[in-house]
Amino acid sequence: MKKLALAVALALAAGGTLAQEKTVRISGFGAKTGPVRSFGINSEAAMLAAADLINKGGGVRLADGSKARIVVDFYDDACNAEQGISVIRRIAGTDALVAIGPTCSNVAEPLFGILQKKVDDPGDTGLQFPVFTDVAIKIGLARISEWAFRNVPNEMTMYSSLFYWLRQKYPDLKTVWGGVEEDFAHSRTTWHVVMKDRATANNFQVLGESKWLLADTNFATQVREMKKANADIIAISAHPFSMCGALKEMQRQGVKPKVLVGLTSSSSLETLQGCAKQAQGMIIPTSFAPVNKEAKFAAEQTAKFKGTADLHSMAAWENMFILKQVMESERISGDKSQIQADRRKIRDGLAKLKVTKGLLGDTKRTDDREADKPYLFVQARGNEWVVLHNPL
Amino acid sequence: MDFYFGLIQLIGVHTLLGLSAYIVLLTGQVSLAQAAFYAIGAYVSGMLTVLAEWHIVPALAVGGLAGAAAACAVGFPALRVKGLMLVIATLAFGEGVRIFFFNFDYQIAKGDIKVGPLGGEGFRQIRFFPENGWTTFDVMLFIWLFVVLVMALLWWFDRSRYGAVLRAVGEDEVAAQSVGVNLTAVKVSAMTVGGAIAGIAGCLYAHYTTHIEHASFNVLVATFAIAYPIVGGLQSVFGTLAAVVFVQGFLVEGLRELGDWRNLLFGALIVLAMNLRPQGLFWRRGA
Amino acid sequence: MLDFLQAVSDGVLFGATYALIGIGFTLVFGVMHKINMAYAAASIGAAYSGLLLLEVMAGAPPAAVFACAFLAGGLLGWVVYLACFHFIPLSHPLATLMSTVGMLLLIDEVVVHATDGMPQNYPAMFDDVMLHAGEFTLRGDLLLVFGVCVAAMACLLALLYRTRLGLATRAVSQQPIAAQLCGIQVAQVNAITFVITGLLGGLAGAMIGASVGTLSPLLSGPLTVKGLVVTVIGGLGSIPGAIVAGLLVGGFENVFQLYRGVTERDLYVMLLLFAFLVFRPGGIFAPRGGRD
Repeated sequence: MKKLALAVALALAAGGTLAQEKTVRISGFGAKTGPVRSFGINSEAAMLAAADLINKGGGVRLADGSKARIVVDFYDDACNAEQGISVIRRIAGTDALVAIGPTCSNVAEPLFGILQKKVDDPGDTGLQFPVFTDVAIKIGLARISEWAFRNVPNEMTMYSSLFYWLRQKYPDLKTVWGGVEEDFAHSRTTWHVVMKDRATANNFQVLGESKWLLADTNFATQVREMKKANADIIAISAHPFSMCGALKEMQRQGVKPKVLVGLTSSSSLETLQGCAKQAQGMIIPTSFAPVNKEAKFAAEQTAKFKGTADLHSMAAWENMFILKQVMESERISGDKSQIQADRRKIRDGLAKLKVTKGLLGDTKRTDDREADKPYLFVQARGNEWVVLHNPL
Repeated sequence: MDFYFGLIQLIGVHTLLGLSAYIVLLTGQVSLAQAAFYAIGAYVSGMLTVLAEWHIVPALAVGGLAGAAAACAVGFPALRVKGLMLVIATLAFGEGVRIFFFNFDYQIAKGDIKVGPLGGEGFRQIRFFPENGWTTFDVMLFIWLFVVLVMALLWWFDRSRYGAVLRAVGEDEVAAQSVGVNLTAVKVSAMTVGGAIAGIAGCLYAHYTTHIEHASFNVLVATFAIAYPIVGGLQSVFGTLAAVVFVQGFLVEGLRELGDWRNLLFGALIVLAMNLRPQGLFWRRGA
Repeated sequence: MLDFLQAVSDGVLFGATYALIGIGFTLVFGVMHKINMAYAAASIGAAYSGLLLLEVMAGAPPAAVFACAFLAGGLLGWVVYLACFHFIPLSHPLATLMSTVGMLLLIDEVVVHATDGMPQNYPAMFDDVMLHAGEFTLRGDLLLVFGVCVAAMACLLALLYRTRLGLATRAVSQQPIAAQLCGIQVAQVNAITFVITGLLGGLAGAMIGASVGTLSPLLSGPLTVKGLVVTVIGGLGSIPGAIVAGLLVGGFENVFQLYRGVTERDLYVMLLLFAFLVFRPGGIFAPRGGRD
């Protein structure tokens, strides 16, 4: 992919775009090793595609009015905390102004921990480098540091709205049973903190939950509990591999809930690759679907760089445009000797944002540096996710 | 520069982890329990600096002691088995400790947030270093102080009667016993020293990453602990250091520019290294 | 009581796959006195290779996919032997331990690169069959897996005790030097052992894929641990031991999952292992003295 980035850069340089000398670097990082490799590939592709588009439009306007080209590079952190920390330090050692990543919440959490907690706190020697997360979704992480920003969907809002909608649409449904991947930070939090709470708030009765582990292979006992509970709605907070295992066992035991709800991250190609047949009808709130012209265009562009557009990679796409806007509004110098000042400007600019433009509409930025993104409900039908309802 | 300081910190932590397995390996025991002592050191010292607001030095000492105590306790029953049975017994212990921390909650309110270990969600905000104004360079020196101390200690062991006894047990237990070596004392003491080193390494690790969770102490980490001395060679403590530099410095960070090839090369180069130098990278004939 | 019986039967049936993996570990240990850490990863890798058949021949029957995985397993076994054992002197057991760990990481990563780490749907036979006896149910596909595992074990035992190759293998496992003096080519026997365990592993991988319904590189880690636990409980080098231990561990973990929950489940498996190490260190069928 690096070669590709270089090729793009060369092609643009040869094409005689403006400001051949000046560049601003945005570094991406995420998992390209191990079971979550597809996330890294997709985010990288989206970043390259967005940079390509911005550069074709002339690049980023700097404080002195000249234009700079965006250069993107991408590092693999293998979804490992130590590597994530090394990578962010490496990025901070280059002329990169801001980083987009990481994929995994278990990397984001330590990574935000090594950043300075409060800006302008001279007693805190944490790293002073802005990070604008696209994927790691575990709730409440940006609170850890004032240098951490996220453009990930707010699951609290999304599930709140989903259960509200279910309540309106199916007034006769009463009970909810959960399926949760207990040893994975994101899925675990989403069930115990988000889904359970939001279902109860919308007058559903949560009967209990079945727990399994990320790499589990036998779901017979859990699905039996599920069957006994005989709930109207089953909400599964698990990533595609174990979710598929559980769904297949549900099919065997003939567990057919009236409504099947899934985890945000599972509204991806992975689920359809693993168990399209069993996932039929599953409803998931997501912050991306190719529903309008812009979204379709972004998906096409990303496909050119061999990536798939989903709620995660399209956040990386949006981040690139938000960063362009921030760089321009904060009037960064683009001068390599002013890197730290430019980074600070970008941080302050991101902190100032109240609303950003997203592919599905406007995203509200919260005070704790999180996003409140527009979302819609998709449903697995055939071999794709189709839009079921747009609550906004 | 910060990046290099950070990398050297990481190499230091892993060297300690490797050395904790090194001394146990000298007695011919392959222990996959090192990740467990590492976890115990990490959680104990993290809880001391975050919840009890101790200084890092006493927390580190207690973390080391906790690791040593756990290792000593494991050492006795583990002596009943040897060879591959021991590998698997220690693996089971390591997994047991990991699962314990997976189920372990102990949180107290501090200001407006709750801190402390929270089962599967881990233990966040172990920020002693940045909160007390330590720069990356300071932390690097601090970590390496312990690396140098431990390496010097083990190097001295190697030159002393104790080291000779350790190796004698590793070479041939029966022969060592027949010349009056107390096998139990030797093996349990090696295990205990190893546990203390792993506990210290765990403390430094927890404060390096600021966030720990059960998955940070899985079988893979235990495997790396024994991989360092094996890949480096058991001839001297420098073998372990060489292997950590090879793995963390070269395979993980050095090859990062290779992008997609890096993760494939990682396993392949370890296989190749063992084929080319089965005695270890750092090995001299006749030394 | 019904819950208990159900948990036991589900677990024991699934335990057949642990047994197959355990046999692979134990066979290599029996012959070479070494652990092949890459075994479970290679088995899963072989199961993935079975999917290649679906690439070239869409709609191939599941049995053909399993056969393809079986053969790929043999090939992978041979590759593992060459890369991790053949060139490393016997006097360096730690080096082979590490080389197989390297191989484990390599195989997993190759799979990740080939699939981008995405879970892959795996074909199954009889997965729509469910046997009912009142509330009590048995999965048809797991019965098939169980049957295939038992048949494979029977073939293996016949191979070891009824053929000249088996005789040579057992000779090498008992007295390598004496076997060599009798004209048995030890290296060749070792290589063949790897191919045989590889074939078995390929089958195990395919059966695991079929019974889970989905393949992921996530599988190889836990399977390695379970396989090793099974090997020790069954007694290192004992094939009947590995079979019984596999079924025992499968049933045991499922019972504890039922009563103590999934987060504590594996803790009890480890305790079971400790109990065996303390009270019966030789495993279920402890060999009559001699080797450890």
